[in-house]
Amino acid sequence: MNGRAHALLRLFAVQGAWNYERMLGVGIGYAAEPLLEDLKVADPVRHSEAVVRSAEFFNCNPNLAGLALGATVRAEYDAAPGAQVARLRAALCSPLGALGDQLFWAGLLPALVGAALAALALGTGGRAVVGFLVVYNLIRVWVAVWALKTGLAAGMGVGSAIGASWIPRAVPRVGNAAGLLIGFALPLVAAWYLRPLGTIRAVVGVCLVAGAGVVAGRLFGARMTGSRFALIAVALTLLFRLVAR
Amino acid sequence: MTDPLVLAALLAWGTLVGLDLVSVAQAMIARPFVAGAVAGMLLGDPAAGLRVGVLMELFALDVLPIGAARYPDYGPATVAATVLAAGSPWELSLGLAATIGLLVSVLGGWSLQRLRRLNAEAVQRHAAALAAGESAAIRRLQYAGIARDTLRSAFLTAAGLAAAWVADRWLLLDRRTAVALTLVVLGAGLAAALGGALRSAGRSPRRRWLAAGLVLGLALAVLL
Repeated sequence: MNGRAHALLRLFAVQGAWNYERMLGVGIGYAAEPLLEDLKVADPVRHSEAVVRSAEFFNCNPNLAGLALGATVRAEYDAAPGAQVARLRAALCSPLGALGDQLFWAGLLPALVGAALAALALGTGGRAVVGFLVVYNLIRVWVAVWALKTGLAAGMGVGSAIGASWIPRAVPRVGNAAGLLIGFALPLVAAWYLRPLGTIRAVVGVCLVAGAGVVAGRLFGARMTGSRFALIAVALTLLFRLVAR
Repeated sequence: MTDPLVLAALLAWGTLVGLDLVSVAQAMIARPFVAGAVAGMLLGDPAAGLRVGVLMELFALDVLPIGAARYPDYGPATVAATVLAAGSPWELSLGLAATIGLLVSVLGGWSLQRLRRLNAEAVQRHAAALAAGESAAIRRLQYAGIARDTLRSAFLTAAGLAAAWVADRWLLLDRRTAVALTLVVLGAGLAAALGGALRSAGRSPRRRWLAAGLVLGLALAVLL
């Protein structure tokens, strides 16, 4: 099967046409095109059906999309019944979404951001930014290569391949690292801003606002996002200053 | 700020950053502290870029960009906020700059929703071609989606730069109000990051790791 490198590159734009109709579907179809080229010659009818299936509804974390792409393309080459390929695709949405979101958005990303923010607050400057970009991208490119390779090798057995892989074990470890590093970074970042101001009043003020923000977040849940609370607090501050004048 | 070359570079950077959030690459140049650092360098004030970027990053840590969730677009917003903060003492400019940044990020979140609806309408228009298995239709949809997001990001960055210019010219705050805004936004940012970390931790062992990190960080902050 040719076109793996092209498919891999296209996976980095898998959310290019993200929409409420098919979510990642069009992006997966776009990434599948080079992989399905050989099928066009071998079995044009099957190729046409495979193209239709490749762009149907699909959603998962973009970093693990290669697993679904590889598995469904392998299933097409193995002449699995079309309905079975569609079922495989549907069945992969939830696990790849949940695992990928936990691994990347709630794990690796906050862990590396926490490390970078702590390093910045400790005076490394721009090197922390460069380090963050290099480490994150090395990991996620490696994951993308692994995911496509594993999917292409496993085909219909991709579920077992995912279960036996490093991903389920890595999720809680990366999550714990994220908790530790974010927790470590926050006091350092606060000190980085507050130390130059040099007043206890500033520290107390910031702590009070931060406390109120956390309490508001707990009370109002998802409706009270961080940015909403900030904008309300800014409006109240401006009002208070206006009245005080 | 008025140098056309710098403005063009900021617009290009903001557009790239906006694209990186969802559509292309996701190399994390859209993270506010990255976007701010580069914007600060373009403006000749890297320190301001880092101060703004790290503050906006605290708000971004509150966001879990899952599926169809609506979330703010902090990248181009940070570029705009850095423009407002560059060249002035950060303790006076950070609060107003972050406020403008937060407003632009909300606009960015709305524009992302609009983009997704436009992409869905395009898919509906190409439904027959998709059902016929035309690869060209998939390519057209993909390229058009990326082109739309490029335009969205460019417009959002331009709107942010315009908002920064207006704020710089007309929103003149006295010293006490400016410092108060900085402290309020910093406190809100810390609350956002901590709230996000608590939510992600839930009742899992991760909460203990978070607490351990907080204790270690606090000890180091006091010692240094």
